[in-house]
Amino acid sequence: MKIQSIIVEDLQVAADFLKRFCEKCGVVEVIHHFLNAEDALHYLKDNVVDLIFLDVEMPGVSGFELLDQLVYTPQVILTTSKTEYAYNAFQYNVTDYLKKPFTYQRFLEAIQKVSKKSEQENGNAEQDHLFIKSDGKLIRLHNDDILFIESMGDYVKFITPSKKYITHNTIKNLETKVNPQVFMKVHRSYIVNFTKINDIQENVLFINGNMIPISKTHKSGVMQKINII
Amino acid sequence: MFITNCDMYNEEQKISFRFSPELDVDFLQELYGDDFQQAEMIFESSAQQLRTELSLAEARFHDGDIPGLKKAVHKIKPLFGYIGLNKIMSEFAAFEQECAQANEPASVETGFQHMRMIAAEALQKVDNEIKRLKQHNTQYL
Repeated sequence: MKIQSIIVEDLQVAADFLKRFCEKCGVVEVIHHFLNAEDALHYLKDNVVDLIFLDVEMPGVSGFELLDQLVYTPQVILTTSKTEYAYNAFQYNVTDYLKKPFTYQRFLEAIQKVSKKSEQENGNAEQDHLFIKSDGKLIRLHNDDILFIESMGDYVKFITPSKKYITHNTIKNLETKVNPQVFMKVHRSYIVNFTKINDIQENVLFINGNMIPISKTHKSGVMQKINII
Repeated sequence: MFITNCDMYNEEQKISFRFSPELDVDFLQELYGDDFQQAEMIFESSAQQLRTELSLAEARFHDGDIPGLKKAVHKIKPLFGYIGLNKIMSEFAAFEQECAQANEPASVETGFQHMRMIAAEALQKVDNEIKRLKQHNTQYL
């Protein structure tokens, strides 16, 4: 099955160039090209894609702002004519970063990374535990033991019923590492184990007496995931 | 399978196409390989978009709208890359920086005049290359 992708790029030439490479490689299907991030966001509200080729600097909403507003995390290849965004790209855990104009060889390398990451993520879906580095040792945490994960800048806090573990990581990075059948991001600072949710009131959810905000952009994703009768 | 003289001739012709030395030949060969149809398509759309964006930049400059000019320059910049004019792309990148730091329109005037001049020269080179590519590609239609 082909990788389903969209291109978000305000430069028509760059999009045409990329489309041609996608056709040529035979494994990537471009479903849509959007000239701005707003239209792409509107589309992504109702549609799921595997991959976004994303320009950073666009009129209106920028590429990074689009990523902030997404309720799920498809793989992202940033396409930009500037190299200054490398640090941000790392922070957002994007799959690759292509400087325009890029060669076909470089494009293929990026697609290989997408495939590899996708295989890893499929593996994650079957994982019932994860290892975290905390207090100088590797600790095994079962999914069922984790209530939620909270961001603390460059660190995250894993909350279990009995203990809290602090480790050097980011929510953005963990989002792709945890089992998506158990965990979901509800806010830019929180990933929750949704089997542990006790109740939801407006834009807040409760787990074991802990109050966790649900951001406006993640609200519909949360409501889709829980079983409302 | 028979290989006719005509096939061999076409194969040789295909290999014989070289981008003009006034462009970054090595980079273009790396970018397009032997896909000269793609090169023609991208050169054509780059030239078209360059004209549109340059007119826009001109309008922004005359309005004294430096942030608008910077945005236009940002969009123009990578277009030079697709047509093998990397040196001009770098000059536009430097001018984009100049716009970012400018406080008043007068401070970017000299830079803008220079950009206008090199962009016009670049467009001539691109138009010539489009003709050459078209000529080459029509042999295989």
